[in-house]
Formats: sequence, C-alpha cells, structure tokens
Amino acid sequence: MKKIWHKIPEQVKRLSVLLIVIVAVFIVANSLLTPKDFGLVGHYRAGSIQENADRELKYAGQEACADCHDDLWKLKNANYHKNLSCEVCHGPSINHTNDPDQFKPEIPRDRTFCVVCHEYNTSRPTGYPQIVSEAHNPRKICVTCHNPHNPTPPQAPKECSACHAEISSVKSVSSHMDIPCTKCHVTTEKHRLHPREFRPTKPVDREFCGQCHSQSAKADKFIPRINMVTHEPRYVCWQCHYPHLPEAQ
Amino acid sequence: MEELIQHLTPILKEVWGYIFPNEIELHWGILIVLYPYLTGLVAGAFILASLVKVFNVKELQPTYRLAMLTAMAFLIVAPLPLLGHLGHPEKSYEILITPNSASAMAMFGFVYAWYLMAVLCLEIWFEYRRDIILWAQKETGIKKWIHKIISLFSKDISEKAIHFDKKWVKIITIIGIPSAFLLHGYVGFIFGSIKANPWWSSVLMPIVFLFSAIVSGIAMVLILYMIITPIRGKELDIVCLDKLASYLFYAMIIDFSLEALDFIHRIYESEESINILAYLVSNKLFISLIVIQLFMGMLIPLAMISLIKIFKAPSDLKKMVYFISAILVQVGIFSTRWNIVIGGQLFSKSFRGLTVYKITFFGLEGFFASVVIFCLPFVLLYLLTKILPPWEEARNP
Ligand code: HEC
Ligand code: HEC
Ligand code: HEC
Ligand code: HEC
Ligand code: HEC
Ligand code: HEC
Ligand code: HEC
Ligand code: HEC
Repeated sequence: MKKIWHKIPEQVKRLSVLLIVIVAVFIVANSLLTPKDFGLVGHYRAGSIQENADRELKYAGQEACADCHDDLWKLKNANYHKNLSCEVCHGPSINHTNDPDQFKPEIPRDRTFCVVCHEYNTSRPTGYPQIVSEAHNPRKICVTCHNPHNPTPPQAPKECSACHAEISSVKSVSSHMDIPCTKCHVTTEKHRLHPREFRPTKPVDREFCGQCHSQSAKADKFIPRINMVTHEPRYVCWQCHYPHLPEAQ
Repeated sequence: MEELIQHLTPILKEVWGYIFPNEIELHWGILIVLYPYLTGLVAGAFILASLVKVFNVKELQPTYRLAMLTAMAFLIVAPLPLLGHLGHPEKSYEILITPNSASAMAMFGFVYAWYLMAVLCLEIWFEYRRDIILWAQKETGIKKWIHKIISLFSKDISEKAIHFDKKWVKIITIIGIPSAFLLHGYVGFIFGSIKANPWWSSVLMPIVFLFSAIVSGIAMVLILYMIITPIRGKELDIVCLDKLASYLFYAMIIDFSLEALDFIHRIYESEESINILAYLVSNKLFISLIVIQLFMGMLIPLAMISLIKIFKAPSDLKKMVYFISAILVQVGIFSTRWNIVIGGQLFSKSFRGLTVYKITFFGLEGFFASVVIFCLPFVLLYLLTKILPPWEEARNP
C-alpha cells in the first residue's frame, strides 16, 4: 500500500486533494443551496406554484360582470365584440366587483383607444374591420357613432362629408362650392352602405366640364369660359385643375 | 410607463417598414456583443499557445506563456457581460446547482468551469510549477506565500517530476484544443441554433465563430507582445513576429473563405428572408459589415500582410504593418460580433421591417459598463504577469 502511495507523483497527490476539496465543496453547497422542493414536479421549485397562486388578483373575468351588468353583457356577447372581455376595455376591475361604489373602472372614450385594434395595418388579416383613423370622421369620438358594446356600424350617413371629410372641406371653400357632389358623381344609395363595391361615377371627358366652361355653354354668365379647341386639347381638364379646388395652380 | 414611452419614441421614428411590437427594442445589447468577442479571444489565445506545445512551433516560444495568461485574463472576465446583462449576478450560482441539460445556455456554466479549471488552470500550473517553487524559495513576505499557495506547497523539482510536468502540459493541451473549440464553437452554436432567426440560423455558425476567434486571439497576443516588449526595454523577436503574422494570415484566409461560403450559400438558397437581409446589409449594417468588417478588418490586413511577405520588407516596416493589421483585425472581429448579435435583431421576423439599436451610455448594460468590462482583462493580465511573470528572463535556469 505504502509503496503505491510513494509511486504516485507528488503533483498528482496535491492536485487530487484540491480536486476532492472542490468536489466536496460543490456537493455540500449543492445540498445546502438547492431548495428542498426543487424538482418534485418539474425543473422548478414546487413552492413557486403556490407563490404564483397567492399573488394579488387584478382581473375579475367577464363572467363576474354578468352578475350586475347582465344587459350590457348580453348585448356585447350578441355582437361584434363578443370575443372581447369587458376588462380589455375597462381595465382590471376586481376591486370594482367587490365594491362598485368605491372603485370605478376606466372608461376609454378617447379616439386613440379603439384604433389600437382597428387602425389599418398590413399585418392584420383581411376581413378584420380596419379604418384609417385620420380619414374616418376625425373630429368625433368613436362612441358617438358606434356603441362600444354593439359596434355594428350605424345607419349610413346621408352626407358625403361623413366619409369624404377632406374633399368636402376643400370643396366647400373652393369656387366649385355651390356645385353638389352628385352633379359630378352619380352616386347610388348603396355606395353609402358598401362604398367599395358600389362606386360612384366620375367625369370621364373634357366635354363634361365644357357644360359650364365652354364658350357655347348655356350656364351662368359669371362662369369663366375657355376655348375648348385651343385650351390644352390633348389633356383632360383634371390633369391640370383639381376639380374640388379648381383655382389651385 | 412614461419612461418607457420616452425611451421608445425616438426609436419608433426610425423604424422602417412593418415590425412586431416586441421587436422595436433590442434585447441583446452591447454586452452580448462583448461576450462572444471576449470568449473568442480566450479560445484564440489558447489555440495559439497550443501551437507551441502540440505542434512544436519553436518560433512562437516567446509568446507561449503570455498567450496562456492572456487566455486566463480574458476567460475570467468573459462571463461578466452575461452577468451584467441578466441583471441578477447574485443568482448566477443557481444554474450550477440545478443544472438543466436541455438548455444550451444553462449548460454554459459547466463548459466554462471545465475550461477554466480542467484546462487553463491546470496547464498553467504544470507549466509554471518548477518556476513557482524556485521563486518562492528566493522570495520573502507576501509574495512568497502567494507562490507557495499557488504551487499547492509542492516541493518536488527532481528531473523526473519536471519530466512529468512537461508530459502533462502536452496532454492537457491536446485535451484543451477540443475544449477551446467547444467553448467558442458553443457560443456560435447558441446563435446558430436559433432557427427562427435566418441571420443566425446556420450550421456554419460555430465554425465561423471559431475561426474568427482564432484570428482575434492571435492578433491580440501579437498586439500585447508588441506593446509590452518595448515597454520592458527588450528587443522584439522578429522571427516570432513573422510566425505570428503568418498564422494570423492563414487563419484569416480560412475565416474569410468560411464567411464567403456562408454568404454565397445564403444568396444561392435565396430563402424568403433574403430580401430583408439584403436590405439589412446594404442599409443598417453597411458601415459595420461592408466597410469595417470586410474592408478594414479583413481585406486591408490581408493585402498588407501579403505585400510585406511578397516584397520582403525591412523589419521596421514589417513591425508597423503587423501592428496596424492586428489592430484592424481586432476592430474587424469586434464588428463581426456586432453584426451578428445586433444585426440579427434589427430586422423583423415578419421580414418586412427594420428597427434601430440605440445604445445607452449609463447603467449596467450601457456603453461605459462595457468599456470597463473590456479594460478589465488588461488589468487582470497586468496582475497575472506580476504573480506569474511570463518573460524569458524570469525563468529559472
Ligand atoms: C356587484 C355588482 C357589480 C359587478 C360584479 C360589476 N359592476 Fe360595474 N357597476 C356596478 C354598479 C352598481 C355601477 C354603477 C355605479 C354608479 O352608477 O355610480 C357600476 C358601474 C360600472 C361602470 C361605469 C362606471 C362609471 O364611472 O360610470 C363600468 C365601466 C363598469 N361598472 C364595469 C364593470 C365591469 C367591467 C365589471 C366586470 C369586471 C363590473 N362592472 C362588475 C356594479 C357592478
Ligand atoms: C370595446 C371596448 C369595450 C368593451 C369590450 C366593453 N366596454 Fe363597456 N364601455 C366602453 C366604452 C368606450 C364606454 C363608454 C360609452 C359611452 O361613453 O357612451 C363603456 C361604457 C360602459 C358602462 C357605463 C356606461 C353605460 O353604457 O352604462 C358600463 C357599465 C360598461 N361599459 C360595462 C361593460 C361591461 C359589463 C362589459 C362586458 C360585458 C363591457 N362594458 C365591455 C367600452 C367597452
Ligand atoms: C381588443 C381589440 C379591440 C378593441 C379595443 C376594440 N375593438 Fe372593435 N372589434 C374587435 C374585434 C375582434 C371585432 C370583430 C371582428 C370580426 O368579427 O371579425 C371588432 C369589431 C368592431 C366593429 C364591427 C365592424 C364591422 O362592421 O365588421 C366596429 C365598428 C368596432 N369594432 C368598433 C370599435 C370601437 C368604436 C372601439 C372602441 C370603443 C373598438 N372597436 C375597440 C376588436 C377590438
Ligand atoms: C361620424 C360617425 C362615425 C365616427 C365618429 C366613427 N365611425 Fe366608424 N364607421 C362609421 C360608419 C358610417 C361606418 C360604416 C361605413 C364604412 O364601412 O366605412 C363605420 C365603420 C367602421 C368600421 C368598420 C370598417 C370596415 O371596413 O368594416 C370600424 C372598424 C370603425 N368604423 C371604427 C371606428 C373607430 C375606431 C372610430 C373612432 C376612431 C370610429 N369608427 C368613428 C361612422 C363613424
Ligand atoms: C359610408 C362612407 C361613405 C359615404 C357616406 C360616401 N362615400 Fe364615397 N367612398 C367611400 C369609400 C370607402 C370609397 C372608396 C375609397 C377608395 O377605395 O379609395 C369611396 C369612393 C368614392 C369615390 C371614388 C370612386 C372611385 O372609383 O375612385 C367617389 C367619387 C365617391 N366616393 C363619391 C361620394 C359621394 C358623392 C358621396 C355622397 C353622395 C359619397 N361618396 C358618400 C365611402 C363613402
Ligand atoms: C366639378 C365636378 C366635381 C365635383 C363638384 C365633385 N367632384 Fe369629386 N371628382 C371630380 C373629378 C373630375 C374626379 C376625377 C379626378 C381624377 O380622376 O383624377 C373626382 C374624383 C373624386 C374622388 C376620387 C378620389 C380623388 O380625390 O381623386 C372622390 C372620392 C370624390 N371625387 C369625391 C367627391 C365628393 C365627396 C364631392 C362633394 C363634396 C365631390 N367629389 C365633388 C369632379 C367633381
Ligand atoms: C355646373 C357648372 C360647372 C361645371 C360642370 C364645372 N365648373 Fe368650373 N366653375 C364653375 C363655377 C360656377 C365657377 C366659379 C366662377 C367664379 O366664381 O368666378 C367655376 C370655376 C372654375 C375654374 C376657375 C377657378 C378660378 O377661380 O380661377 C376652373 C379652372 C374650373 N372651374 C375648372 C373646371 C373643371 C376642370 C371642370 C370639370 C371637372 C369644371 N370646372 C366643371 C362651374 C362649373
Ligand atoms: C395642360 C393643363 C391644362 C388643361 C388640360 C386644362 N387647363 Fe384650364 N387652365 C390651365 C392654365 C395654366 C390656366 C391658367 C391660364 C391663365 O391664368 O391665363 C387655365 C385656366 C382655366 C380657366 C380659367 C380661365 C379664366 O379666365 O380665369 C378655366 C375656366 C379653365 N382653365 C377650364 C378648363 C377646362 C374646362 C379644361 C378641360 C376642357 C381645362 N381647363 C384644361 C391649364 C390647363
């Protein structure tokens, strides 16, 4: 035995001692530091399940709202927003369900809120209702026309300006202000319900403008006249004159 | 919330195209750039050292010990960027006591520990043992005790024992080479195995990492050698420098070919990500990839070193060219890491947009923290050379 011990080179003996110390320290540290409940149910502390379950609740879930707001609950669940939970819009409201008088949920009436989900965005699936908010009735908040709990679009507006706000406002200060939209665009009722499928007509030729602006036109005298033959005959008029603001150069 | 909005607003203005909300801000910043850069230097310096022991490249003897200490200094600092990034250094021991073998990242602690203890410490110990014993005999006070403890109170400096040391240095080096490959190939593996990211996901990634590591390690030792030697008032060994430069050159050629292969492969495959990647390279990464990584860090040093070799330049010119090339290579490899880590997060997984990286200056993950971490290995190296002088004249006859 002693002989073998002497045969081992000195370095190896010393390193082995060091190795044994390191391994021992690791084993001791491992058994002391590993939480007792680690690995009982998976690669984590079993106790962390309880810790997470004990965390303060913030959301009540939409079934909770049905107890007191059953009318709104039914309304919402029968309409387009049926898949949204109440607290998506009203914020975490568990305090409110416990004490409705003390705590009031948020009510997001701002235009900036609905567009979080409805702003036009190429990544959203086709068919998902989207709007370009800058062009979609920019001066009014959404809930004036859409009931958030039943957002089905309201009755189609009579005025073209409800949807073509920019064109109407430009035209209303132009020299064409007295000409109704429908004088130049034959618009069916259906356009207001399904605007993309039923498009109004647009003027197609120079003669259309000539009704009022040609020298032979029977229109009011004060309307400026041009010579239809010599006035830029190779182009249609709206290549140079914006019809909704014709005085613009 | 306010703070977050203030932080994100300027970034949002520079976002191009469509990106998902969680891609606006980069999660891996400059510290994660630093981490593969530092581990690369470790692996590279070690491979350089092993050339001496395993492949008997006698000319490199003057840099052998320096290379080992360099590897050591950088290895000690290498995990710091990770700890800084994760933000809870006090919890880091947990990945060691509850090892998760299914996670490549979680196993890093063991790869690291293996490399540090089984390879570097052991090899340095065997290499220096005789010298440490002799130093301890001559010294007094605290230094004597430091050396005694480091030598584990070993005393045997008989012919037989020294021979045993030499044999083991060689064996450990042989084990060390695959370990160094493991250490750094592993870092490449972590990136290469992220299949959702087309910029990273590539089987070549570990190998490309490895060779760029070797390149940077050789260049770093060359720089250190060329700076330290004149400071110590000694002559540079021009044969050794030539050899270093040659190995640097070969390693760069391999690195360049691998990267070119990867590049051509991607272009030829033309997967659906190719458009956004092309846009990424020609826009956000143009300076750091084409200008710095490719031209400054690769083509210019390659051209300079080959010209020097072809025209047999005088040694002063040679030294200057080697030094400049090595510095350029360092900058180039750093931007390689930058382009991989940052570049891989700049484009959207929708392949339709790009974001920007805004570096912060203060805080645990900021620019200054990374400068400090980058300087730390040099301080450590200085201390190491005080305790274990790698110089020829410090050796005991
Ligand atoms: C215990 C019955 C009860 C439950 C459960 C309840 N509410 Fe209410 N809630 C009320 C009462 C009562 C009011 C009216 C208070 C008032 O008019 O001052 C109210 C008012 C509101 C208001 C309007 C607040 C305002 O400022 O006018 C909102 C929004 C609201 N509830 C949302 C919710 C949501 C969302 C839930 C489900 C998480 C919910 N409530 C669950 C009783 C309840
Ligand atoms: C799409 C977002 C949205 C969802 C989902 C939603 N709400 Fe509302 N809710 C609103 C908005 C916006 C208002 C403010 C309406 C207004 O000012 O005309 C409001 C108003 C209310 C009010 C107070 C005014 C009123 O009409 O009496 C109550 C109560 C209410 N919601 C309860 C609920 C409950 C309960 C649910 C779930 C069944 C729910 N809400 C789901 C957006 C939402
Ligand atoms: C959390 C996302 C979300 C928010 C917030 C939200 N909506 Fe919706 N909205 C939806 C979804 C989902 C639908 C149903 C889409 C479907 O049926 O394909 C919908 C449908 C609609 C529709 C029906 C469009 C149609 O004709 O198909 C309108 C109008 C609408 N929402 C308006 C609003 C308004 C106004 C608000 C703000 C009070 C709002 N939405 C807030 C998700 C949201
Ligand atoms: C002045 C009234 C008015 C206001 C205000 C208004 N809308 Fe509408 N909205 C309509 C009308 C009318 C329609 C149906 C015509 C159409 O499809 O364009 C509609 C349609 C929609 C649609 C369905 C679009 C589609 O393609 O199916 C969505 C979504 C919508 N609105 C969201 C909003 C949001 C969000 C706001 C607030 C930012 C808002 N609306 C404000 C009148 C309004
Ligand atoms: C409910 C909203 C709505 C109302 C009300 C409405 N439009 Fe439109 N209109 C649209 C939409 C949406 C488009 C399609 C825009 C597009 O595709 O770029 C459109 C397109 C048009 C076009 C262009 C068609 C084309 O082929 O380019 C004209 C002209 C037009 N509308 C005229 C009118 C006139 C005139 C009125 C009033 C009588 C009117 N619209 C009322 C929503 C509306
Ligand atoms: C003087 C005749 C005239 C009047 C009045 C007129 N438009 Fe037009 N509109 C045109 C012509 C011409 C075009 C075709 C322009 C083109 O093709 O570039 C046009 C195009 C359009 C378009 C297509 C989109 C665009 O901007 O090119 C819309 C929408 C539109 N008009 C809406 C309206 C609305 C709403 C009104 C009333 C507020 C109105 N127009 C009044 C002549 C008129
Ligand atoms: C229903 C008659 C009518 C039609 C059709 C008509 N215009 Fe006019 N136009 C007018 C009137 C009225 C004025 C304003 C005259 C004034 O107040 O001085 C005017 C003014 C103009 C002006 C001069 C603006 C200025 O002040 O310099 C131009 C240019 C013009 N129209 C172009 C067109 C074009 C282009 C079309 C065809 C798309 C067209 N108009 C169709 C009635 C018409
Ligand atoms: C190539 C461009 C071009 C085309 C096409 C064109 N115009 Fe003009 N039009 C002009 C310019 C430029 C002026 C301004 C001339 C001036 O102020 O002397 C003008 C002036 C006018 C005026 C105002 C004359 C006045 O006395 O103030 C009317 C009205 C007019 N155009 C109508 C038309 C009509 C109608 C058409 C189509 C038949 C048409 N334009 C086509 C370029 C064009």
